Amino acid sequence: MLPTSLPPLSKGGHATHCKRCLSGLPSSQVDIDPAKLALSFYCLGSLDVSGELEKRTRDWEREQWKEWIWSQQTSGHYGTGFRASSYMTAKHSEHSVHDSPQIIMTYTALLSLAILRDNFSRLDRKGLLKFLRSCQNTDGSFSSEPLGGDSDLRTTFSAFAISTMLDDWSGMDVTSALQFICSCRTYEGGYGQSPFGEALGGTTYCALAALRLATKQLDPLDRQKTIRWLVQNQASNGGFRGRTNKDADACYCFWCGASLHVLDAGDLVDKAEMASFVAFCQFKFGGIAKIPGEHPDPYHTYLSLAAVALLPPDSSEGTPWALCPLDPLLNATYQTSSWARAHIPAPKVDDDDALGDAGI
Amino acid sequence: MDLPAEEEQPLYSQRPEWADVVPLEQYESVAPLAPIFYTDEYRDATNYFRGIVKSDEMSPRVLELTENIIRQNPGHYSAWQYRYKTLMALKSPLDDELQLMDELAIKHLKTYQVWHHRRLLVQQTRNPGPELEFIANSLQVDTKNYHTWSYRQWILAYFNDDALWSHELDFVEKMLESDVRNNSAWHHRFFVVFQSGVRNGDEDRDAVVRRELAFVKERIAIAPNNASAWNYLRGVLDHAKMPYCELQAFVLPYSLPQPPLDTPPEVVDLESPLPSKDAQLPCVAAVEFMADIHEAAGGGDLVKATELWKSLANEHDTIRKRYWEFRIAESLKTKSAGDG
Repeated sequence: MLPTSLPPLSKGGHATHCKRCLSGLPSSQVDIDPAKLALSFYCLGSLDVSGELEKRTRDWEREQWKEWIWSQQTSGHYGTGFRASSYMTAKHSEHSVHDSPQIIMTYTALLSLAILRDNFSRLDRKGLLKFLRSCQNTDGSFSSEPLGGDSDLRTTFSAFAISTMLDDWSGMDVTSALQFICSCRTYEGGYGQSPFGEALGGTTYCALAALRLATKQLDPLDRQKTIRWLVQNQASNGGFRGRTNKDADACYCFWCGASLHVLDAGDLVDKAEMASFVAFCQFKFGGIAKIPGEHPDPYHTYLSLAAVALLPPDSSEGTPWALCPLDPLLNATYQTSSWARAHIPAPKVDDDDALGDAGI
Repeated sequence: MDLPAEEEQPLYSQRPEWADVVPLEQYESVAPLAPIFYTDEYRDATNYFRGIVKSDEMSPRVLELTENIIRQNPGHYSAWQYRYKTLMALKSPLDDELQLMDELAIKHLKTYQVWHHRRLLVQQTRNPGPELEFIANSLQVDTKNYHTWSYRQWILAYFNDDALWSHELDFVEKMLESDVRNNSAWHHRFFVVFQSGVRNGDEDRDAVVRRELAFVKERIAIAPNNASAWNYLRGVLDHAKMPYCELQAFVLPYSLPQPPLDTPPEVVDLESPLPSKDAQLPCVAAVEFMADIHEAAGGGDLVKATELWKSLANEHDTIRKRYWEFRIAESLKTKSAGDG
């Protein structure tokens, strides 16, 4: 039995919140434009992980969403990827360098299409590998765009996730990318956003998940230290903080909780307390906020749901707290991540064709 | 809104000086996900921006237009990018631009683009000096802002100039004086002392370690329940490869349930400042530290470590009950492996 003090998880309300955001945002949300595909992923991911996607959306809607996401796939001399949205796209004009794809958006586009069970026949795989190569810097990090922009562990993780989904690592120099990840490690045991940065929950997840995707293990002492720092971030109210001595914020339930899961230490989380924190971050009209009493958004809604899916309170089966099992490395339900891993890699060709290809 | 009562500007589409630009509407081939219901002002400005980008115009009015867009949407990646390109093409005075950025950065402290743009500018001016003061002022507004601290670390590491580094420890001390629990300041101290090379006067690394241990101990004495300070202490010891037991005399009083009885001032040990009488004890981090010392000693001391972990699990730090029980189980595993 779940503790009676735990309020129910309002799956329906959260689905409504996400569905509403997918159908339109007020002008005050204009800063979402350069990260629209990420917002779409959080909305679709919320529906997916709570098992509400089929119930809440119609076939034609899902088809239309796929079309729109594909319309963000753009190409240039740097290769092919997905841009955040059409906010720089002018009628009848060619793509310009100011309308170029972005690496984090590309990762979220692929997962969103997998949630919508696309067959990926339109994916320019060779172009995507070229795009990754165009983004990688000499220090192993990845710029967010081929032209430049921030390079930090978020872009590194995206590159690792894309390579995993493609089942092809020829888009990057793995050795220098791994070195870059190590250079972001701090004395506290977490990872900063970039070298010299303070340990932060989100980028620690990026580092640990990327290492695991590349089948690398932390050495036992480092692992111990990282686990220590991560569990220390669970606050007395059950939520997780992103940095030492800061207040808890719902999104870090995922970033820190999933990090522990990646280190095979998810059981060290006090799951009941975490669920209770998430419960109190629920907004009465749907959606989950960063802290109790604030307004919800798809980012905190998705990450809270994902955290609960990964680290559910005991005896949640058969209750509203039961969610679809989550793949902590790609950050999607197992059904979605299996779909991605099955459909995103280049279709297998028979041996004769392979030889023909190699000869070119 | 907190905007000053500025004179209402007419839309670009109504200004004669923009009549030569062909505005370009945003194009969507299919109904978009999460469409944003733009204001007329934003739609108008971005239509003209797409027009400018299409014709590749780089002129002073582009600076006005991009500033307008950035004020409406500081996350507009392309407006920032194009603005930078235009500044370079026009060879604009970058000090003016930095002044404008002083205002925008404070307004939009959490926007990546504000900081990225600033880095690009300072790489051009190669004048990092005033930046440290600007950052110090920004940190007054938001003392733990991640972008602001990252920018400071970048300025120091990128220009790596002795004059820049010379006041960093004073700066950290000031930040910690106003909030001894500011982890960003502790992290910055570690970066300055241990992660960024050796500066004049700091060649004796043992002396540096002693100085840092004294510094952190003093601050633990002021506020014992401060995870940032304890993490720093561990960081220094790990960095210097010093065993934790060397700190036993200092840590022990913090791990006990009662503050020590009054100690006459003449026997106060400067190496081991004591917790104040009103300190909340035992301090979880100190109990954990003592358990680590016992675990490292091994043998019969493991029992002591286990006792401490149990007290954390069941009494002092119950949210981490599973973690402390895991530590007990792990130590038993190591022990039985050692016995075998």
